[in-house]
Amino acid sequence: MPGTTAVPDIEIIVEDIGGGGGGPTPPPGGGDDGDGSGDDRNRRRKWSPSPKRYSTAIAIGIVSILMFFMALASAFIVLRRGSELWVTVHLPRILWANTCILLASSFTLESARRRLFLADDSGFRKFWRMTTVLGFLFVGGQLIAWRQLVAQGVYIASNQASSFFYIFTGAHAVHLLGGVGALLFVSFRKFEKAKISLPAAAEITSYYWHFMDGLWIFLLALLYLGK
Amino acid sequence: MTTDNSGANHADTPQDGFLSRYVFNTNHKTIGLNYLWLALFSVFLGMVMSLLMRIHLAWPGMHLPFLSSLGNSPERFAALTTLHGSLMVFLVLTAAPQAGFGNYFLPLQIGAREMAFPTLNVLAFWATVASLFGLTTAFFLSPQSGITLWIVSVAIFCAASLLNALNFSVTTIDLRAPGMTLPRLPLTVWAWFINAILGALIFSILLAACVCLLSDRLLGTHLFPMVDFIANQPAGVVANAVPILWQRLFWFFAQAEVYVAMLPSFGLITHLISTFSRKPVWKERLVVLALCGVGLFGFCVWGQHMFSSGMNPFSPLVFSLLASSLGLPATILLITWFGTLWNARVQLNTAMLFALGFISLFLSGGLSGVFLARHDLAAAAVSDDFVTGHFHLVMGVAATFAILGALFFWFPKLFGRRLNEPLGKIHFWLTFAGVYCVFMPMHWLGLIAHSRVSPSSAVVPLAAAGSPIHTFITVAILLTVFAQGLFLINFLWSLFRGEKVVECNPWRATTLEWSVSSPPPADDFGPSDPMVYRGAYEFSVPDAAEDFVPQHLAPEQVAKIHRSGE
Repeated sequence: MPGTTAVPDIEIIVEDIGGGGGGPTPPPGGGDDGDGSGDDRNRRRKWSPSPKRYSTAIAIGIVSILMFFMALASAFIVLRRGSELWVTVHLPRILWANTCILLASSFTLESARRRLFLADDSGFRKFWRMTTVLGFLFVGGQLIAWRQLVAQGVYIASNQASSFFYIFTGAHAVHLLGGVGALLFVSFRKFEKAKISLPAAAEITSYYWHFMDGLWIFLLALLYLGK
Repeated sequence: MTTDNSGANHADTPQDGFLSRYVFNTNHKTIGLNYLWLALFSVFLGMVMSLLMRIHLAWPGMHLPFLSSLGNSPERFAALTTLHGSLMVFLVLTAAPQAGFGNYFLPLQIGAREMAFPTLNVLAFWATVASLFGLTTAFFLSPQSGITLWIVSVAIFCAASLLNALNFSVTTIDLRAPGMTLPRLPLTVWAWFINAILGALIFSILLAACVCLLSDRLLGTHLFPMVDFIANQPAGVVANAVPILWQRLFWFFAQAEVYVAMLPSFGLITHLISTFSRKPVWKERLVVLALCGVGLFGFCVWGQHMFSSGMNPFSPLVFSLLASSLGLPATILLITWFGTLWNARVQLNTAMLFALGFISLFLSGGLSGVFLARHDLAAAAVSDDFVTGHFHLVMGVAATFAILGALFFWFPKLFGRRLNEPLGKIHFWLTFAGVYCVFMPMHWLGLIAHSRVSPSSAVVPLAAAGSPIHTFITVAILLTVFAQGLFLINFLWSLFRGEKVVECNPWRATTLEWSVSSPPPADDFGPSDPMVYRGAYEFSVPDAAEDFVPQHLAPEQVAKIHRSGE
C-alpha cells in the first residue's frame, strides 16, 4: 500500500487558495475565483489519471495470476500425494532448451531497456525485437514438446500427470502470449499519441515478462520434482 | 494492460448514438448504474425462483411453471436451486454493492473523475452480462450441456470480477485527489478497496477450479475423478481423499466469497450510521482495522483449509479456531456501530432503518454462525435447513438490506429525486418482519431434521411440527415477495415522479459526492479539481456553523462560514 502521496501537495495548494480567497459560501470545489486564468482552467479540465496506475495494475495483476497458478499447483500437489497409482510423464528434452530461450529473453529484454535508458533507439529496437522473437520461439518450442508427447501416445486425458503437464504448459503459454502481445504493442505503438510513455510501457512489460520467466521455472520444477 | 489502454484513447473521443451512449460508454457512472439495473433484474428473477421452490416444498403436488413443464424431477429442483444461488450470489450480492455502487461512487468519493481503466471497466460489465445470460440459458438446456455452460459462465464472471478488482484497487491507490490521504478515506472506499484486493485473490482460485472442471468435462481429464474412477481404486485408499479436492478448491473461494458480499455492506452501513447519527464513526481507525481483519481472516479460513487438505484433511481445530476468530472483527464492527449510535440524535429515515435492520440481521445470523464454526456442534446438530437459514440471514438478507439502505441514501444523487419515505418505511417493516418469519423457522427445521435421524433425542415431539413450519415459511415468503412489489412501485414511481432534489447535499453528508450537483456532471467535478482537507466523518463539530464540515471545504472557508454565522 502506498503512503500518503498527496501530503506535500496539499500544503502548497492550501496556501494558494488562501491567497485567492473564496466567497463566504463557496461553490463546490471553491477557490476557482482566485487568480486562476482561463489557460489554467483549460489545463485542469483535461484531468488525467496518475501514470503510476499502470505499474500498480501490473503488480496486482501478477499477484492475481500467481494465485491462479498456486491453485493449480496445490491441486497438483494434493492429487500427487493422494494417488497411489501416479503415472509419471517423461519431460521432453526440448523443455530445457525452451527454458534457456526464455531465460535469454529476459536478458535481452533488460539489455533493450538499458539501451532505451541510454537513448540508443536502434539498439533498443534490436534487442526488443530479439526478445519478441525469443518469446515466439519459446511458445513454438512448447508446441514441439506437446507434439513429442503426443507422438509417444501421451495425451491430456491419459493420466493425471499428463493432464497437469498440458494444463500447466498451456495456461503458462496463454499468459506468456499476453506478454508477447505487450512486446508487440511496445514495438508498434506510436507513443506520441498514447497515454503511456515508451519507458513506462517497456518497464511494466519487463515486470510481466520476468514474472512469466520465474513462473515457468517454478512450474518446471514442480513438474520435474513431482514426477 | 498496455494493449487495453490503446482502446481507452479512442473511447475518450465524444460520440453520440445508442451504441456509444449505452453499450460502449466507459463512464464509471453509466457502468455503475448498468450494474445496478442488472442486479435489480437478477434479484427479482432470483426471488421468483425462491418463491417457486418454497411453494413446491410446502405443496409438492401443485403445478408450477419451470418445475412441472420441464419434467417435475429432482434434477429440475436442483437446477432451480443452483440458478437461484448463482444469480443471487454472483449477480446481486457480488455485483451490486461492489461493482454497482462502487463504480458509481468510488471515483466520486476519492475525487477522481474516472476509474483507472475505463475500457477494462466496460469490458468487465459486458462479460458480467454474458455470464448472466449463460447462467440462465444453462437452466433450459439438458443437464450435461447445461452444467458445462454454467461453468463457462461462472468462469466468465470470474474474469469480469478480476478486472473489476484490478480497476478498483488501482483507482483507490493511485487516483485519489490531493489531500485524500488514506486516513481520510471514507469507510465505504476502504471496504471497496479491501474487497477488491480480496477479490483479486479469490476469483483467481475459482477461475483455476473452473479451468480444471472444464478440462475434465471437455478434454476427458480426471482431475476431479467421477464415481467410476473412485470405484476402480482399492477400497478406502483414494475414495476418501480425492473428491475432496473439488470441495476444497470451491470452498477456498466460497468461504471468502461470503466476505466479498459482506465487506462492502460493512462499509456502507458504517457510513449510513455515522451520517444519520450525526456523529463521527466511533473509533474509525479500529473500523478500518476490523475491515482489514475480515478480509484477512476470510482469506485465511480457506488458506487453512488448503494446507490441511492433503491425505489427512482433518485439522478441524485450527480451522474452527480461525472461523471463530472472524467473530473478533465482526464484534469490533458491532461495537463501533453501537458506539456511534450511543447518545446520538438518530434520524430514522428509511436508509437508517435499513442500516439498523442490517445490524439486527447480522447479529442474529452471526449467533447461529457461532454454532456452525464449532465443528463438533456443526456435525452434531445441524442439517441443511439450519445452514440455509443461517447464511440467508447473515449473507443474503443482511447484504440486501445494506444495498437497499445505500439505494435510499444515494437515490437523490443518482437520479436527482427522492424515494418516497412513507412507502419506503412500510416496505422496510414488511420485509424486516418477513425475513425473520422466513429464516428463523428454518433454523428450527434444521434441528428437527436432526431429531428425525436420532429418535432418542429430546426434541422428538418437534418433528411432528415440520409440515406446518414449511407452510408457514411459504406463506411468509409470499408476503415478503409481495412487499418487494411495493419497493418496485416506489422505485419506478420515484424515478419519474419522485420529489425533486435541488440542493447538492440533501442529507447534509460530508463526503465529496455531495459537493456536486445531483445527478453529477459528466466529468464529475466540473471545472476545478476537488481538494480534500479533512476526514470523512466530521459531524457534530463544536465550532462549525452547521453540525458537519464537508471534506472539500477549505479551512478558511469554514472559518468564514463560522464568522458569518455569528
